[in-house]
Amino acid sequence: MTSRQISYAQAINEAQGQAMDLSPDVLLMGQLVDTRAGIFGTTSGLVDRFGPDRVRDFPVAENLMTAAAMGAALTGLRPVIVHQRLDFMIYSLDAIVNWLSLWRFKSNGHSGLPVTIRAIVGKGWGQGPQHSKSLHAWFAHLPGLRVAVPATAYDAKGLLLESIFSEDPAIFVEGRSLFSMTSEVPEQPYRIRFGQAAVRRRGKDLTLVAIGNQVPLALRVATELAASSVDAEVIDLRTLSPWDKTTVSESVAKTGRLIVADPGWRSFGAAAEIMATVAETQGDKLRARPMRICLPDSHTPMSSALEQVYYPSERGMVDAINAWMKS
Amino acid sequence: MGITLKHELIARSGPYREMDLSGLDRDTLLALLRQMLRLRRTEEALLREYHPADEMRCPIHFCVGQEAVPAALSLLVRGDDYMLSHHRSHGYYFAKGAPLRELFAEIYGKATGANGGKAGSQDISHHASRFYSGAILAGAVSIAVGVALGLQIRKSTSLAISGFGEGASDEGAFWEAMNYAGLCRLPILFACENNRYATFSDQLKRQASDNMCERVTTFGVRATRIFGNDAAQVYRILDQEVRRIREGQGPALVEAYTYRWNSHVGPEDDGVNNYRSAEEMAFWKENCPIRLLREKLVEAGQLSESDLARLEADAAQEIADCFRFAKESPFPDAPDWGSVNLASGAPVADKLLGTQSGGEFDQFQADARLAPY
Repeated sequence: MTSRQISYAQAINEAQGQAMDLSPDVLLMGQLVDTRAGIFGTTSGLVDRFGPDRVRDFPVAENLMTAAAMGAALTGLRPVIVHQRLDFMIYSLDAIVNWLSLWRFKSNGHSGLPVTIRAIVGKGWGQGPQHSKSLHAWFAHLPGLRVAVPATAYDAKGLLLESIFSEDPAIFVEGRSLFSMTSEVPEQPYRIRFGQAAVRRRGKDLTLVAIGNQVPLALRVATELAASSVDAEVIDLRTLSPWDKTTVSESVAKTGRLIVADPGWRSFGAAAEIMATVAETQGDKLRARPMRICLPDSHTPMSSALEQVYYPSERGMVDAINAWMKS
Repeated sequence: MGITLKHELIARSGPYREMDLSGLDRDTLLALLRQMLRLRRTEEALLREYHPADEMRCPIHFCVGQEAVPAALSLLVRGDDYMLSHHRSHGYYFAKGAPLRELFAEIYGKATGANGGKAGSQDISHHASRFYSGAILAGAVSIAVGVALGLQIRKSTSLAISGFGEGASDEGAFWEAMNYAGLCRLPILFACENNRYATFSDQLKRQASDNMCERVTTFGVRATRIFGNDAAQVYRILDQEVRRIREGQGPALVEAYTYRWNSHVGPEDDGVNNYRSAEEMAFWKENCPIRLLREKLVEAGQLSESDLARLEADAAQEIADCFRFAKESPFPDAPDWGSVNLASGAPVADKLLGTQSGGEFDQFQADARLAPY
């Protein structure tokens, strides 16, 4: 192994710094982005390199921050804004839903806004109902936005650079529980295109589509399933809007079985959309009823005892899949 | 006795006699009159055509009576300034010098419209003219603050101009915008047309006091309250503030008390809602911004009958041409819905970013510890 391993948080920091080196148009705004702690390390040190004009602490005014990023983008800048918790981003729904998502459409393609919105989703240590909501499906529902849900450091870097230097808004949903996880990350800046899933594990018996922080879990589950001779193919979707229908479809054509592991609520979520699309296009190829593994349709509890039963566990997933395979 | 700038008092104050043309040259004054007249005649023509032809199938918030602020701005903005306005957009579209033909075609939903028929009157934009609008009030004010931030970061001498009504100041986003504009001393002009009513709701049903100027001043935004139908005064104050902002003296708000003659939206009379008095309407019509300036110019010997006839003829010809253009233009073809919301390419990413292989990932690492936060 000669490759360099860095963490998810370091990869985001590196992507942001490289983007700002590559182009003077790139701007970073968010509450406390200019502090030493730097949003869990993802922005630490950037203010020293690029100054407070480009690495801007922002008032606790999430709606204005989003609108300000849009206006700055109109003047040719490429702003990145960050919310320490996605829950705060909800204040900016007017800016996102009524303005940002439809800006290009309603200008008839004359004007686009390359704004990247980073939103961090907590999980565990009592984050509770106001620090743990993963609303990636909400944003994927809107036309005119791209939604990334990177699961590895490598993807976090490549997708963040791609978000910053593309021409449309991107919602970049980061799982806080992934921040210390490392992967092999090239030092050079690079891109990962939206709509290209990664097949993380090849398998022939079932297709396990995973999103965000469910990816490492799904891979561990696949390893355990292999012990009982179930060979799972694990697809990391990487981006939700657009999502890679081709890779999922090819896998399902091979395995005839579909499971979706989504870190969002069960009803009306990303898993439902993926299952519906597969059912519409290749339902006749399915050898078993599809299954989704999601969060219960309930807000997140604080107590660690309740967190353990709220979030899907490795053991629970293995048991559920084994039972499903036999049914 | 000067006019007291409170809507409930203005309506009782009789004929306005305070217009003062001093310091303004004839070209400027005639240009002001011309712009107001163009806008007025355009709106009147659109109002007449709206029904029964029903070819303009979108909500239109007409701005008859509110011509002075846009007309003054039209003489003060530069091509490289940015302007964002509310849904009562036509005056600001005019002010930014965007092509009138494309406004008409847009309202008619035609392919040749400013936005190919995707936006209509209340959402129209003209990117090449740096003009944008939208219907969700304070949102546009906030985006204009972002434009000003971008201009400041880029060390540009352009301005951001935000046109809105007093209704926008009901929304919290408005005050976030004021706070940041004041905090960063951003190069932005806030042009508020206070027409008293948010749809049918009186400002004093929505706010404890009509003291926007006092409130924004505490946020660090310079503010001036004026009678918005005195085009000469509107021009004078806006000119002064535009200069100050360009000189780096930070953001300013001008609150112009004015009045819309028509319904909130469309040509139908919304008087059935009984939200305003005949006395009030009579005051504002008597003190129409065009009439006030026209009479003052005639009195000062600066406007002849033939000058006026020429302005009217030019406006009529332009409007006839715009109607012809809009009506003769084709409707848009059905688009590919999958491609109209996102860009077709990413030239900057193509230039700056390559691809790299890699990404080996070990799933057996521990998740992040969230503590202490």
